[in-house]
Amino acid sequence: MGRNEIRLRRHRMTARGTERFRNYNSVLKRHEENRRIKKVIRVFGFFAIILIVIMLIVFLSRWEERVQEKNKDNTSVIIEKENVIPTYSNPNNPSNDPQDRTS
Amino acid sequence: MSEEEIRQEESIITKAKNNPEAFATLYEKYFDRIYYYLYRQTDDEELAGDLCSQTFVNVLNNIKKYELRGVPFSAWLYKIASNEVRKHYRKSKGKKIFSIEEVRIKELIEESDEVWDEEQINKLIDFMKDLPEEMLQVLELRFFEERDFKEIAYILDITESGAKMRTYRALDKLRKKFKIKIKYDG
Repeated sequence: MGRNEIRLRRHRMTARGTERFRNYNSVLKRHEENRRIKKVIRVFGFFAIILIVIMLIVFLSRWEERVQEKNKDNTSVIIEKENVIPTYSNPNNPSNDPQDRTS
Repeated sequence: MSEEEIRQEESIITKAKNNPEAFATLYEKYFDRIYYYLYRQTDDEELAGDLCSQTFVNVLNNIKKYELRGVPFSAWLYKIASNEVRKHYRKSKGKKIFSIEEVRIKELIEESDEVWDEEQINKLIDFMKDLPEEMLQVLELRFFEERDFKEIAYILDITESGAKMRTYRALDKLRKKFKIKIKYDG
């Protein structure tokens, strides 16, 4: 078995045989159809890109809001903690012992 | 092709870029050639007709991108037709067919030590069956379509020297095997 299939034709091809396939109107029609499909795809693609961009913007703004809310909560905790006077007990220095002070 | 003809074709192409109906003249001019090129590679009239229509639809779809690159417009048509055939065989996964005319083979053989009867032609066909597809493509374009090497290189997306090398190798093999001289203008 060879790599290709070679067929031998006894007669030369004639122009008459091609007539039934020659139809420029049908070629034009198919070209117009293709053009329309391309246009629809392009418009669809354009809207798809716009939709993706809008979704990204919405997602980012929500994410930013969430981050800001988290930051607000953290700041209030820090402020509350700053108002607390820290008390320490040092076993080596009894004067610092709060119990000792009260007595 | 004369300078005048090239200029005429160019003006039709420019018009066709905006108005596809203007392309009708070139369609009529090249339809037969492209059809036969496809028919030689499929050996099926209906299939060749379908591929030919698809080739011209693709030509119209892409005519705005067409630029003159030192080869005739017909080379661009052959290139698109060749891509269509390749696409068809890739989809169908069948063996590549080359359908050749007996009369044309006899025309091409200029000198031979032996009489070219049925038996010799069958031997040649058997020999061609084992040639690599790339060589057959080049031989077909060179001897059946009568394209020059620059055009062949453009159609098959290879270099001009590559096209020449493939042709010479195939011809050498033929000469050695059959002791024939093929009509060849270099």
